[in-house]
Amino acid sequence: MGRYVRVWAGLVFILAVSFPLVVVADTGSRIQIVGSTTVLPVASRSAQKFMESSSSRILVNAGGSGVGIHSVVGGRADIGMASREISLDESNRFEKSHLKIHPVGLDAVACVVSSEIYQAGVQQLTARQIAGIYLGEIRNWKEVGGPNKKIVVVDKERHRGTRHVFMEYVFGNASQRTPGTLLVTGSNNEEQAKIAQSDSAIGMLSFNWINEDVKAVSLLDHGKEIMPTWESVRQGSYPIVRKLNFITAGNPKGEVKAFIDFVKGPEGQKIVEESGYIPIENP
Amino acid sequence: MNAFFCVRKLEPVGWIFAAMNFVFLGCAMALGIFLVVESVPILRSEGLSFWLGENWWVGESFGALPMICGSLIVTGLAIFFVLPVALSGALFTSEYLPPSFRRKVKGVMELLAGVPGIIYGLLGVSFLTLGVKDALNLLDGNTFFTAGLLLAIMILPTVLTLSEDALHSVSYEFREAAESLGLTKLQTALRVVLPQSLPGIVGAVLLGIGRAMGETIAVMLVVGSLDRVPGFNLFVSGQTIPSKLGREAAEALGSGLHWNALMGLGLTLFLVVAIITFSGHLFIKRCNQ
Repeated sequence: MGRYVRVWAGLVFILAVSFPLVVVADTGSRIQIVGSTTVLPVASRSAQKFMESSSSRILVNAGGSGVGIHSVVGGRADIGMASREISLDESNRFEKSHLKIHPVGLDAVACVVSSEIYQAGVQQLTARQIAGIYLGEIRNWKEVGGPNKKIVVVDKERHRGTRHVFMEYVFGNASQRTPGTLLVTGSNNEEQAKIAQSDSAIGMLSFNWINEDVKAVSLLDHGKEIMPTWESVRQGSYPIVRKLNFITAGNPKGEVKAFIDFVKGPEGQKIVEESGYIPIENP
Repeated sequence: MNAFFCVRKLEPVGWIFAAMNFVFLGCAMALGIFLVVESVPILRSEGLSFWLGENWWVGESFGALPMICGSLIVTGLAIFFVLPVALSGALFTSEYLPPSFRRKVKGVMELLAGVPGIIYGLLGVSFLTLGVKDALNLLDGNTFFTAGLLLAIMILPTVLTLSEDALHSVSYEFREAAESLGLTKLQTALRVVLPQSLPGIVGAVLLGIGRAMGETIAVMLVVGSLDRVPGFNLFVSGQTIPSKLGREAAEALGSGLHWNALMGLGLTLFLVVAIITFSGHLFIKRCNQ
């Protein structure tokens, strides 16, 4: 009985905390991939497909964009996943590592709210309003046309890629401090869960994590409404778009290069599309 | 001199035991030294303001006060919730339950004590945060209070089963003597057995505090992870030392001062637990005198 509980507990632990995909082959080299939870579905599905015709063993682990970049620099991973560019600070600090960026897809980030708020009328926000909420100047939904409810402001860990591109759009500063914050979350899944559980939350999520409990609001820019849809991303009008990147230290070689080429190739790009992102070849 | 004689007279097996003891001591010392060495840079650059500073901005300043306060609050809450339940439960199990039933209760408790924190964390995220939010009509359920409650549930089996061991190990002669003096069962339990087993119970509570202080993932999922110095309001989100480590360790690994700052947090936790354990033993000593 005791052993049973522990086995079960172990499985849950693995699923919930690190969300890793471990695929084992008999022989061949080993490729470690670590980083962004946004890029993770692409990497793990591609890894599965890639290993059908290769003897390499690929391990994919979550952690966030910052972790991905740091792991590559520290030699703990062969490929880092990042849902943002390398920041100026990072490129200065890690100049010696000669980091190389390999874009594999396109994604967009939405400003999301709890479904209750969306249905109560908050369906579009300006960047100034979002900034006011995150700075703690706007504390009640009624100030932006919603119900009389306090706002649960959900932020992300500072190094996360989603936060970088979102804050870059809202404030023009990727590492903006946000004194209005009430909760800090990590992965996309965690933030999605916290916003869904609340009935008055605001947050930021990759398009793929939007569902009926977590709704994306339109962005108002100079009186023009920009819908949070793939349509407007394709047209180029949606402003919070980012590349999904693989990052290596120096030019990739051998199996690592083969894997990156696979993801950039037709089969990999089909997986990118199936994962809900836009392929890099025809954006 | 005496100790020296003991060592000299050891048989071969005794040497193995002694070696194992040094393995343990070595591990403890290595951990302490590692933490101190790794946190020297941050203590040198921040000084006392590492413990007194309120702002944790990577690259600018590292102030650990929000995390230290958070850890103390959450652990204090957990002990506050757990003490009455664990003590009453232990008394009842030890003094009133028939032996066969007692063994079953103990079995369940020991099983529960081994359940890893993530299980509690997931249950906390899925049920407890929502329950606390609805029951207390809060803005959000990720609070110190929730974390304290979750920790209390988590350490209850440990504290209960160890307190029960302490109570049960009180010699039967005491109980018989008390009975022959005409004390009722309740009087015996409260005035004879409980005082006799106090050192054991304090030990159980200390272990509980240790687990509560060090719990990472369960707290991280329900405490809100917001760095701010809490006021007297327990129903707001915050941060504890382990949850901060859990959030940032992977990112900071091998990246200079940020990593040293996290190790400094680890050292702080180590010291706090050491102080609490030391005071607990001092308390036991004074009780025995």
